[in-house]
Amino acid sequence: MTNHNMQSPTQPVTARVSLPEAKPRYMRGIKEPTREEWCLGILILAGLIAFPFFDPGYRFLSLAVSTIFTAIALYGLSLQFGQAGIMSVGHAGIMGVGGYTAAILANQLGLGFWESLPLAMLLSALAAAVVGLPSLRVGGQHYIIITFCFCALLVIALTNGGTFTGAATGLDVGPIPGVFGIRFAKLDNMYFLCLAALTISIAVTFAIVHSPYGRTLWSIRENEPLARAVGINTNLHKIGVFAISGAFAGLGGILQTYYLRHISPELYGAFPSLYLALMIMLGGARPLYGPLIGSIIVNFLPELGGLDPIDSRIAYGVGLLLVILLLPGGVSGGLLSLYRRGTKTRHRLEKGRGLS
Amino acid sequence: MKLAHMGVGLAMMGLAALTAGKAKAEDQELKIGVVAAESGSFVSAGNTIAAAAKLAAAKINDDGGIKVGDKTYKIKLYIRDNRTDVNVTIAAAQELVNDIGVSAIWGTETHDFSIAMAKITGPAKVLQFSGNSSLGSALNTTSVAPDGWLHYAFQTEPQEWQRSGSTARGVLALLTPLMKTKPVHSVVLVGNDATGQYLSSHYVKALEGDGQQVDLVKYPPDTTDFLPILTRIKGMHPDIVHFWYNGDSTLTAFPQAEQIHVAPAYFLFGVDPGIYEQRHLTASVPVTMSCVPECWGGPKRPDVDQYFAKYFGSGASKGPQSSVSLLYYDYFFMYAKALAEAGKVDDPDAVVNNLLKMSYQGVVSPVPLTFNSNHQVTFATEVCVVKPNTSDDFTCTTEQPPAAPPAGDPGG
Repeated sequence: MTNHNMQSPTQPVTARVSLPEAKPRYMRGIKEPTREEWCLGILILAGLIAFPFFDPGYRFLSLAVSTIFTAIALYGLSLQFGQAGIMSVGHAGIMGVGGYTAAILANQLGLGFWESLPLAMLLSALAAAVVGLPSLRVGGQHYIIITFCFCALLVIALTNGGTFTGAATGLDVGPIPGVFGIRFAKLDNMYFLCLAALTISIAVTFAIVHSPYGRTLWSIRENEPLARAVGINTNLHKIGVFAISGAFAGLGGILQTYYLRHISPELYGAFPSLYLALMIMLGGARPLYGPLIGSIIVNFLPELGGLDPIDSRIAYGVGLLLVILLLPGGVSGGLLSLYRRGTKTRHRLEKGRGLS
Repeated sequence: MKLAHMGVGLAMMGLAALTAGKAKAEDQELKIGVVAAESGSFVSAGNTIAAAAKLAAAKINDDGGIKVGDKTYKIKLYIRDNRTDVNVTIAAAQELVNDIGVSAIWGTETHDFSIAMAKITGPAKVLQFSGNSSLGSALNTTSVAPDGWLHYAFQTEPQEWQRSGSTARGVLALLTPLMKTKPVHSVVLVGNDATGQYLSSHYVKALEGDGQQVDLVKYPPDTTDFLPILTRIKGMHPDIVHFWYNGDSTLTAFPQAEQIHVAPAYFLFGVDPGIYEQRHLTASVPVTMSCVPECWGGPKRPDVDQYFAKYFGSGASKGPQSSVSLLYYDYFFMYAKALAEAGKVDDPDAVVNNLLKMSYQGVVSPVPLTFNSNHQVTFATEVCVVKPNTSDDFTCTTEQPPAAPPAGDPGG
C-alpha cells in the first residue's frame, strides 16, 4: 500500500496539486510576464526612444550606441548562459566573426551593410556552432577555457592574416548606405537603427524563452541527463542555442564595425570577451532586461561617474562578488525581486487595511 | 525712489556691459581638443600629449594669444581621457567635434583608434594631429586629397621608414666602435600588435639595408615574463637585441635580458635616457636609446633643458616617452602660425594648405618641421648610448632621415 492510498478520503487530492492544464501546453512550467513586467518593458523602450530628445550631447549618445550594440550581443549570451546554462568567454570572438565578415565582404567584394548583414549573422552563427561542439564533450570551466582559447586563436589569425584581414591594423568600411533618405552617418539615426535592432533582439529573446524551444533549453540547464532520458536531443539543442547566440553576436559585431568604421583584432580578444561575461553576470542572464542593464553598468556608468579604468575594474570585481553572494539573478533580477516584494507587502497592507 | 531707480539702471547697465564683455571674450576663443589616454594601458604616451598641450596653450595665451585677421584668439583646451578604450575615444571625438565645436584635435596616440577618429574629424573638417603609426599606413595621395577622408589629418611622427632609417644608422654608428667585433646579426623583439607589426616591418628593412642579418621575434602585447623568449633569442647568438616598441614593455623586458646576458649590446626603443637614469638601470654592455626629436635626459642643451624644466614643473609625469611631448608642444605653435597666416579661423582648407607649405623652426627642435604632401612630418632622430655600468653617462648623435626607403621597403 502506498502513501497515496493511505490519504484520508476527507482531503481532496486536487487541493494540493497545481493545474497545468489551465495553460496552453507550450507555456507550462514557464512563468508568463506580469502586467508590471510589460509596463517596465514599455517604459524602458519609451525611455530609450526618448533619450536623444533630452539632448544628451554627442558624447553620451555615442556611448549609448556602444552600449546598445554590446547589449545586442549580450542577448545571445543570455540565451546560451541564462537559458541553456552554458557560459562562454569567447563571445567577443563571435562578434569579431560578424564584424570581420562584413569588413572583408566590403573590402573584397564591395558589399555594403545591408547585403553583408545576413551573411555576417549566418557566419557568426556557424562559427558559434563550431565553437560550441566541444561543449558536447566537456562542460563548466573546461568549456570556458576552450572559448577563451578560441578568442586568443582568432586574434592571432586576424593579426597574421595579411592584407585579407588587414593584419593588426585592421580594416576600414564605409558608412551604412541610407534607406528612404535616412543617413546613418548621422549619430541620431545610427542610434535609432541600433535601438531597432535591440528591440528585435529583445523580442526574439522573449519569444524563444516563452516557446517550447525555450522550455527545452531550460530543461537542459536544470538537468541535462534527465532531459536526455525523456527523449530530448540535448546535443542538437545545445548546438542550436550556440548558433542563435552567434547570430545575435554577429548582429552586434556588424553594427559595431559600421559604427566605428574601422576594426582591428584587439576589439575581439579574450579581454573584451571577459567584459561581456562580466556584463551578463552583473546585469543578470535570465531576466529579460538583464543584458541591457549589464551593458549599461559597464559601458555607461564609469563614464557617467568619471571612474578611472583601474577604479572601474576594482568596482567590477567587488560588484561581481556582491552579485554572486547577494543577487544571483544579477542586478536586474535583484531589482525585480525587490519590486515584487514591495508590491506583495503593499498588497498585504492594503488587504489588512480593507479587512480592518 | 529716484535713487533706487538709478541704482537699478546702473546695475542693469553693468550687467549688460559684463554680458557684452563675455560675448566678446567667447568670440575670441579658439577651441582645441585633446584626446589622450590619461588612464588605461597607453597612459605613458597619452600623458605626454595632454601635458604638452597644456604647456603650449598656456605659453601662447600668456604671450597674448593668436592674432588671426583683426582678432586675437586665446586657446581654450578641452582635454578628454580616452581610457585606452575605442568606444570612449569615439564618444570623446563626437563630443569635441559636434558638441563643443573644436577647430583641431591633438591625439589620439592609442593604437588604431586614430583611424576610427578620423572618420569623425574628416567630414567635420576638424584638423587632427595624431602620432600613431597606424594612421601613417592610411595616409596616401588619394586619402589626403581635398575630397579624401584624411585631408584634415596629419601624422605628427615621421614616416616610419625615415625614423627607422635614422634610428638604425645611429644605433649601429654608436655601438660599432664600442664592440669587439663589427655587429652583423640583430634580433628585433617586438610586441605583436598593430603598431608593433607596422614599426618592425620598416625597422627590419632599415637594419638589413645597413648590412645586418635580422631575426624578428614577436611577443604577445601583454607579456610580463620575457625569460622564455629571451632564452630563445640568446640561443640565436645575436650581436644586438633591439627592443621595440612599447616603452613600458621594454622596461620590463630589458632587465630580464641583462639578467641572463642575452646579447653584447642592446637598443631600447621608447625609453628616454632620462627614465633610464631615473630608474638607475645599468648594463654590463653598451645600451642605446633613441628619441624624437630630442632626448630627455641626454647631454645638456639649454633650450631642451629649459623645456623639460617647464614640462615637469607643470606636473607632467616622468614617463618613458616624455621626449615625445616636445613634438606636440611644437605643433601647437605650428598650427597657430598656420592659422594666423590663413587670416581666419573658419577656413580649415587654408590652414591645411599653410601647414603643407610651412617649414617651421620649432621652439626646441633644431631641425625645421615640415609636412610632406601625404601629411607626414619629417625630422631627425637623436640616438644616445649609455656607457656600460653607468646610468647617466650618455653620448648622443643626431641622425638625419635617409633620402629614400631601403630596398624592399615600400615606404609609408
